[in-house]
Amino acid sequence: MSRTFVEIAGKRLSLSNLEKDLYPSYGFTKAHILEYYRRIAPFILPHLKDRALTLKRYPDGVEKEYFFEKRCPSHRPDWVKTAELRHNEGEKMKVCLINNLEMLIWVENLASLELHVPLARTGSPETPDSMVFDLDPGDGADILDCAKVAFILRDLLSKLKLMSYVKTSGKKGLHVYVPLNRKETTFEDTKKFSKVVAEVMQKNYPDLVTAKMAKEYRKAKVFINWAQNDSKKTMVCVYSLRAREKPIVSCPLEWKELERLAGQGAPEKLQVLHSEAVSRAEKQGDLFRALLVKKQKFPYL
Amino acid sequence: MAEQAIWSGTISFSLVAIPVQLVKAVEPGRVSFRMLHNKDYSPLQRRMFCPEEEKIVPADEIIRGYEIGPDKYIVITDEELESVSPERSRTIEIVEFIDMKEVDPIYYAHPYYLVPSKGGEKAYQLLVEAMARTNKAGLAKFVLGEREYLVAVKSMEGALALITLHYSEEVLPDKDISPKEKESEAEVKSRIKKNIKNMMADFNPEKYANERRKKIMNILKKKAKEKAPVEASQVEEEEVEGPADLVSALKESMRKVKKNR
Repeated sequence: MSRTFVEIAGKRLSLSNLEKDLYPSYGFTKAHILEYYRRIAPFILPHLKDRALTLKRYPDGVEKEYFFEKRCPSHRPDWVKTAELRHNEGEKMKVCLINNLEMLIWVENLASLELHVPLARTGSPETPDSMVFDLDPGDGADILDCAKVAFILRDLLSKLKLMSYVKTSGKKGLHVYVPLNRKETTFEDTKKFSKVVAEVMQKNYPDLVTAKMAKEYRKAKVFINWAQNDSKKTMVCVYSLRAREKPIVSCPLEWKELERLAGQGAPEKLQVLHSEAVSRAEKQGDLFRALLVKKQKFPYL
Repeated sequence: MAEQAIWSGTISFSLVAIPVQLVKAVEPGRVSFRMLHNKDYSPLQRRMFCPEEEKIVPADEIIRGYEIGPDKYIVITDEELESVSPERSRTIEIVEFIDMKEVDPIYYAHPYYLVPSKGGEKAYQLLVEAMARTNKAGLAKFVLGEREYLVAVKSMEGALALITLHYSEEVLPDKDISPKEKESEAEVKSRIKKNIKNMMADFNPEKYANERRKKIMNILKKKAKEKAPVEASQVEEEEVEGPADLVSALKESMRKVKKNR
């Protein structure tokens, strides 16, 4: 195993197998991955901060086996920040907190290509700071159908005075977020609210939308997965890479940009590559900043 | 063979009728367990549970529905099912003989043995032998329980095996089964052989449609035309869930959104 030692903010890291190609059909080594996360760090770190990270590790690349890791790996340097969570019925578990660049580089060195985080921070695990609509196309539907649903959802929410923000999932779908950032909010609220919204969407667009999880309902439709609004669930973090053929990013888009891209009628236009994600972020800033600061209150709850 | 008979009757073809009993040929090697209550070890029972009403449904409230789509069913009654169920058969009537080589094992569903009943031993023996010699198997339709099966009767190690066959389409070659030589009366033997020859056919499973299934599907088709299927209630009920103000605000907003699109 080849090793390289680097120092970040006074912390010494041992990086392994930097030349290993983890996206073999595209050609993207671990060094490329570390470089991507180094450059996107200023944008992704505020979204990872104080959230219990679930690692999704691809030690032999995206075409080989992966595994989820909720526990912070025990062989960790002593400067790695963790939080203690209560796992099922009282069992305690240490999770990693990615609060700075050295932590981010450390987990990426473990080939955790995808970074998944809950909608709440560890300090208040029952308080979601946002509500999410995970738009997932069933067989026969695609990301363009998701975009149609996303636009209707945006308009519907704005009538209720709720601003929403959209990112690509980096796979086939879209994620629509509603920032809340109020300590009174509970997962019960976000789940109830998102479920009613999903059902109203289904009722009004039965050929396009389903609010039901079961596969047979999802054919050629977009499934609005409202059940992600749960303290036990995680979403792929904005700006995280996805483990696909190419290093595609779960990337925020302006609504106008999504309209323009969807208007071209080609699903692949809605896939943002690593380099494009970096250049967009460096030019436009963090389009998901509102998720960190904007306070919104649910009407009628 | 001390195995208990599942069925008894006669196996017949042409003018030969042999009294036989049907017994299991395999015993699944599965170890089965009873589910017990850990508090008092009483054996537990299965009950039908209605998730909508959250209660156990008594037998007289349970009906059958054929699912034609999500939450859409055609209801079918016990009488309708009974009307298409075949009569219990007393004979296994061999309608034709086929070459076992033509029956791919993929068709084999479940094996049984036929054992001779009193007085049938001799004729049984002759049939076994003739079948082994010619490597032919008899095809028959046979009702066991509620269902009509297509079965192959063939000789196996000096006995007759009855194998229920799947109703299906593909035919692939099969291996021989080794014949066994035994003394017999030449005259009867040649007669049986001739009969077998006369009734020879190629194995053509499409010829044997599953009649009951066909009839049930016909009833369903007819019913689907005559009246609308019943629907599970959950779609509607999910709709009204949620705070009333929110639901009505969403409906009102949705109207505006739709108008602007």
